Amino acid sequence: MQPMRMPRAMLLALPLLGAASIILAWQFLLPAAGVPPYIAPTPTRIAGAFVNQWPLLLDNLWPTMIESLAGFLFGNLAAVLLAVAFVYSRTLNSAYFPVVLFFNTIPILALSPIIILIFGLGMLPKIVIASVICFFPTLVNMVRGLNSAGPNETELFRVLSATPWETFWRLRLPRSMPMLFSSLRIASATAVIGAIVGEWIGSDKGLGALIIQATFNYQTERLYAAIVLSSSMAIVLFLLVISVERRVARWSYESA
Amino acid sequence: MPAAIETHSLELGYRNEAETVSVLGGVDLTVAAGEFLSIIGPSGCGKSTLLRVVADLLDPLSGDIRVLGKSPSAARREREVGFVFQDPTLLPWRTVAANIELPRDIGGRHAAAAPKGKSAELSRMLGIDELTGRFPHQLSGGQRQRVAIARALLTEPKLLLMDEPFGALDEITRDRLNDELLRLWRRTGTTILFITHSIMEAAYLGQRVMVLGSRPGRVRALKDLRDAKTPDNRCRREDPAIVSAMTEMRSMLEAA
Repeated sequence: MQPMRMPRAMLLALPLLGAASIILAWQFLLPAAGVPPYIAPTPTRIAGAFVNQWPLLLDNLWPTMIESLAGFLFGNLAAVLLAVAFVYSRTLNSAYFPVVLFFNTIPILALSPIIILIFGLGMLPKIVIASVICFFPTLVNMVRGLNSAGPNETELFRVLSATPWETFWRLRLPRSMPMLFSSLRIASATAVIGAIVGEWIGSDKGLGALIIQATFNYQTERLYAAIVLSSSMAIVLFLLVISVERRVARWSYESA
Repeated sequence: MPAAIETHSLELGYRNEAETVSVLGGVDLTVAAGEFLSIIGPSGCGKSTLLRVVADLLDPLSGDIRVLGKSPSAARREREVGFVFQDPTLLPWRTVAANIELPRDIGGRHAAAAPKGKSAELSRMLGIDELTGRFPHQLSGGQRQRVAIARALLTEPKLLLMDEPFGALDEITRDRLNDELLRLWRRTGTTILFITHSIMEAAYLGQRVMVLGSRPGRVRALKDLRDAKTPDNRCRREDPAIVSAMTEMRSMLEAA
């Protein structure tokens, strides 16, 4: 039997209904179960925090946003450049790729205090942490992406007497785009995580700092609002990556 | 005019640190400029290897080869050789038009040498002029292979190498493309080396058919069909002379 295809309106409405049902349950079941607001506030209280504490939230949003974005840009840029170097130099690849893999196994939480020791308490260490967290997945994916041109494609370029430069720009780089973007999508969330982790450890500004302070002071409404804000930021960054991907590597979507 | 291809005691195969594997030996072949030569043989007899040596994708183990009176690498660098693979090998991020024009974008100093307006002319000749804005994944197998042929002809090569180009297509599409290929051959005067698994295709297209045998790879026969065809290489698939040539080649291949 042919499975029934869902109408488009339903496909859009169902996830919204699903989310709404959870929020409604949260709103009414939590107080009914006797959970006090300082442990877990209801959605309306969190919404209230957004209204009442907006200037404070905004003040702390900016640093985190700048750190995440800068970390995202620098981390991924460094990863892409190093991937190119690895792909073109077997010596460099053999010497440093194992080291890179080793660094990748160090949990970011363990690495963060070291980074803060080196770079102090300003924005810079948070940018570094966000960069580091973006760096490794993109490096690994980009190396694989640059090597993903098939033997036929490589031979085609050889028959056409392509220079190494042309093979890079016309074949290997476009070939790597799907792999690059799949790691950029992941990095859009992890960059925010990196910035917040950095702020936890040593900062009095930013959403991470706000989260820690609010937790210790039982300001749960503020805590939840900060969480919603940080995840919204990751979502916006994610959508940004998707929209660039649609423009740059549309073919990989459609031919998949 | 020099012969398109001239070989003396050519031996082909693969060489690595551990061993040298000879695939096809004792090839003494002269292909006249403008000739259409089919090559047929069992799997592993070295058909593709021969084409790869002509295209300078592989060095011969021993013996001499001249392509258009030069070394294979000189012929390749001067872009006098076109290659069509069994897989069309279109770049998925380029439109049909951009795929056809690929040789204009690469090839170092020879890149811009591809004549302007050639791409539109070839698209018309191959019946793909209405598809030029599409992407490869939007085309059928036969259409993709037409694009690959147009791309190979963009530089007006004197020699066109085709490695089972229609092997993956259905019979009706294959027959139609056979006729179109013959038409292109008459118009362009390009020398064509055409590898196939199909005895019918080999006999229908080639003025001569080279029959290869395997273990060890040797040239079994060079069957001349020009007496069975019109001077411009026309015949009907059911002509008695063609049919008897096919029967003869079949028994040669079965013995091989």
